[in-house]
Amino acid sequence: MAAGPTRRAMLAASAAAVPLLVSACRGIQVLGTPPPPGRDVRALQSAISGERALISSYHSAIAQATAAGSGDRATVASLSRLLAEHHQHLAQLTARLVEPSRSAAPPVKPTPSASAPAGLGAVIASLAAAEQAASARLASQLLAVPPSLAQLMASISASEATHLPVLHSLGKSR
Amino acid sequence: MTRQQPAATVSATAITALQTALAAEQAACYGYGVVGAYLSGPDASRAHVDWVAHQVARDRLTATISGAGADPVPAAVAYKLPIPVRSAAAARSLAVILEDRVAQAYMSLVGVTDLEVRALGAVKLRETALRAAAWSHTTVAFPGLTSSSLDGAGSKPAISEPG
Repeated sequence: MAAGPTRRAMLAASAAAVPLLVSACRGIQVLGTPPPPGRDVRALQSAISGERALISSYHSAIAQATAAGSGDRATVASLSRLLAEHHQHLAQLTARLVEPSRSAAPPVKPTPSASAPAGLGAVIASLAAAEQAASARLASQLLAVPPSLAQLMASISASEATHLPVLHSLGKSR
Repeated sequence: MTRQQPAATVSATAITALQTALAAEQAACYGYGVVGAYLSGPDASRAHVDWVAHQVARDRLTATISGAGADPVPAAVAYKLPIPVRSAAAARSLAVILEDRVAQAYMSLVGVTDLEVRALGAVKLRETALRAAAWSHTTVAFPGLTSSSLDGAGSKPAISEPG
């Protein structure tokens, strides 16, 4: 229980010390500059923004499938189920990141490809490409993070890989 | 374990995880024999493909563990099936259970700091998740992770940043 606060205190102390040391050489502008985040923090932030982008793309696709009419009810149901898993991914990832509220990530805007006028088939194909890219990115980033985060990222990467056959079959049925 | 010097530098933790994965693959090889016996048509073909995949994985793990200077765990003569199998539906359910168990075993590989072993675990975890999804016709949010391991995640953040 004491390890967390102690580590935070140490991190806070080093964050304060570094700008002071640097400021001796470079002047006052560098005072208060936060230290660059570690590799694991960057990997986690990247995974979080990746999930947010996927969620946003799914929302666009579901809106389009809903607008397409009742014939796409099954597509909407399938996409909604995959979207629910991404929400679970995001919740687990954000639970691992303790960061100052001021640096909360800005809301992700829908990707241009998702909002551009395109057939639902093309939208689903771009979702599949995004899933594949996200899965591959996690698979490479999990090599640079602590074991427990690596396990979460591996699991999410595997889950996203299983979304591909679902999306491909949705695309084929169009 | 033998006293000989490991041929490759693999940590004791990684060896233990590799042995866990090997034991899971051995059980899967046995189980898929049962799965295949109750299926016909495309499902039987898929069971055969998956069975071969598990045999290949088992043999590679055996070689990796031997190469690291350890004795691979021996396979059991027979395994108690987690569910009784008397039908095609039960055979498909058994396949999903076998894949889930293999997934959990590979998750232990992802948890080691040896990056080659970790990367192997991640690749195999993805393969087993794909097979499980094909058998169950559904997907899960966290292949290889138990709900208890996920519940604990929030209580110990991996990363803390100065405020």
